[in-house]
Amino acid sequence: MLEALWHNIDYVASVVLFCIGLYILIAKNNLIKKFLGLNIMETAVFAFIVTIGVIEGGDAPIMGHGAQAPFHSPIPHALVLTGIVVAVSTTALALSLIIRIYRQCGTIEADELREME
Amino acid sequence: MIEWPHWMAIVVLAPLSGAVLTPIVSLRDRRIAPWFALATMTVTSVAALFLIMRVAQEGPFSYPLGAWTPPYGIELRFDEFSAAISVVCLVGSLAILCSVRYTEWLRELAKPRIPYYYALMLLNLGGMIGFMITGDLFNLFVFLEILSLSGYALVAVSGERTAEMAAFKYLLMGAISSLLVLFSVGIIFGITGSLNMVDVTTRLASVAADATMPAVLALGALTIGFMVKAAIFPVHVWLPDAHAIAPSPISAVLSGLVVKVGIIGMLRVYQIYYGSGILDLTVLNQVLLWLGAISIVMGAFFAIFQDDIKLMLAYSTISNIGYIVMGLGLSTNLSVIGGAVHVFNHALIKATLFLAAGAFIYRTGYRTLTDLRGIGRAMPLTSIALSIGAVSIVGIPPTAGFLCKWYIALGAFEADQPMFGFALIFGALFIFIYYIRMVNAFYFQEPIHKEVLRVEEAPLTMLGPILLLAALCLIMGILGRIPLTFIEPAALRMLAPLGG
Repeated sequence: MLEALWHNIDYVASVVLFCIGLYILIAKNNLIKKFLGLNIMETAVFAFIVTIGVIEGGDAPIMGHGAQAPFHSPIPHALVLTGIVVAVSTTALALSLIIRIYRQCGTIEADELREME
Repeated sequence: MIEWPHWMAIVVLAPLSGAVLTPIVSLRDRRIAPWFALATMTVTSVAALFLIMRVAQEGPFSYPLGAWTPPYGIELRFDEFSAAISVVCLVGSLAILCSVRYTEWLRELAKPRIPYYYALMLLNLGGMIGFMITGDLFNLFVFLEILSLSGYALVAVSGERTAEMAAFKYLLMGAISSLLVLFSVGIIFGITGSLNMVDVTTRLASVAADATMPAVLALGALTIGFMVKAAIFPVHVWLPDAHAIAPSPISAVLSGLVVKVGIIGMLRVYQIYYGSGILDLTVLNQVLLWLGAISIVMGAFFAIFQDDIKLMLAYSTISNIGYIVMGLGLSTNLSVIGGAVHVFNHALIKATLFLAAGAFIYRTGYRTLTDLRGIGRAMPLTSIALSIGAVSIVGIPPTAGFLCKWYIALGAFEADQPMFGFALIFGALFIFIYYIRMVNAFYFQEPIHKEVLRVEEAPLTMLGPILLLAALCLIMGILGRIPLTFIEPAALRMLAPLGG
C-alpha cells in the first residue's frame, strides 16, 4: 500500500493539493480567499494532467539535433495550456464580479453578505 | 446541398465569430446589434437544419476539423442526440428577438454595453452547439467552459443587487464541476492514451483489468461534474437564484438550454461506458434514479411555496431535469427515448414560460404572483401562452410535456420499478397545484394594483416569439411521434450493449 503510494507520489501530491484547495474554498469566509482556493484546485488538476504525460528517462518532444526517443507525451502539455487560458478567464470574471459585489454591498465577507440578503 | 460536409463547421463557427463581430459591427449604431446577432443565428439555424436532415437520412456522421483524420485530429460528430442543437437555435433566436426591447428597458444595463450582451449570448449559444456536436473529450471541456463562462456573466448582467452574488455562487459551483470534468478527461487520457470518444470507447474495452479503478473514478467525477451543470438534487443550490435573477430572455436560455448541457454530457458518458462495457453501471443508474426522483418531488414541492413567478419557474426546472435524469437512470429503451425528447420539449415549454413571465415583468414591473393578480385580463395573449406552457409542463395531453413523461413512466413500469413511476405522477400532481395557483392568480383573483389592469399587451418582438413557442408546445404534443421515432435509433444504439 505505502509502496504503491510512494510509487505514485506525483498523483498523491496533486490529490493533496486538490483537497487543500477544496478546504479553502469551503472554509474561508472571504470571497477572494475562496477563489484562491479554487485556483489551487485548478493547479492541482493541471499538475496531475502534466504528470500523466511524463515517462521515465524521456526527452523533451522537440525534433532537432540529438533528439532521441523516448519522448514525453506533448498532448497533456497542450491540454494544460488550454486549461490555463480557461482558468485565467475564470479568474478575471470572478475578480470583476467580486469588485462589483464590493461596490454594491461594501463587503466581500460571505457571512455579512448572507445577512444582507 | 445537404451533403455539403462543411455545414458542421459553420454551425459552430458562425455563432462564435458572430459573437466577436457583434460589438465591432454595432460600434456606430448599437441598435444594429440584436439584428446582427439574429442574422448570425439564422445562418446557424439553416446549417443545423441541413445537419438534422442528413442525420435523419444516413445516421451519425463525422467531420474532421482541418482535415486531420481522427483519432489524431479533432472530430466533430453528429448523431441523433446532437439534434438538440435545433432547439438551441430556435430558443436562442427567439430569446435574442425578445431582448430587443427588454435590454433597452433594463435600467441597470448601460446602453453602450448592450452589444456585449448579444456577444455573450452568441458565445453561450455557440458553446452549447459545439458541446453537442463535438466528438472529442477535451473539446467537450473547452466548449463547456465557453458556455459556462458566458453564462456566469449573463446572470450578472441584470445588475440587481443580488445578481452578482448569484452569479458568483454559480461561478464557484460551475468552476468546480468543470474542474471535475477536466480531471476525468485527464484520467481517461491517462488510461487510454486517446481523447476521441469513439477511440476511447474501443480502447477502454481492452485496457488492463487493473485500470478499472481509475475508470470508476473518471466516471464518478464526470457524473458529478455534469450533475452540477444539470442542477440535480444535492448540487442544485445555485440554480434558483441564478435563473430567477437573470433577465428573462437569459433565464429562458439558461433554464431551457444550458442545464440540458449536463444531460447531453451524461448521455456522452453513457455512450462511452456502455459501449466499452468496462463497468457495470447498475449502481450509477440506481443513484441517478433516486436523485432524479428526489429532484422531481423536491423541486415541485419548493415551487408551490414561491410567490416570485421566476423563482417558481426555476424550481420547476429542477423538477423537470429530475424527470430526464430518472429516464436515463431507468435505462430502458422507452425511458431513455422519453428523457432525450424531454430535453427538447422542456426547452420549448420553459422558454415559453420564462419569456411570458418576462413580458409581464416588462409591462408591469412586478414579479410576484400576488402583485400580478388580474394580469390575465390586461395581457390576454401572453396569459394564454403562459397557460399553454403551464398545461404542457404538467403533462396533460395533447401537449408537448405529455408524451415524454408518459414514455418515462412506461419505462419505469417496464423496468419493474413502479415506485418511480408513482414518484413521477406524484411530482406531476405537485406541478399541477402550482400552475393552478398561477392561473388562478392571473385570471380569477381580484387585482391588488389597479394599474395592472391598464397595461398594454406585450410589444410585437416579445409577443411573436411567445406565441410561436406556445404554438409549438401544442404542435409538438400532436406531432409528438416525430421526435420520438427520430431519437429512437440513438437510444437503441446506446443501450444495445446491455442486451435490452
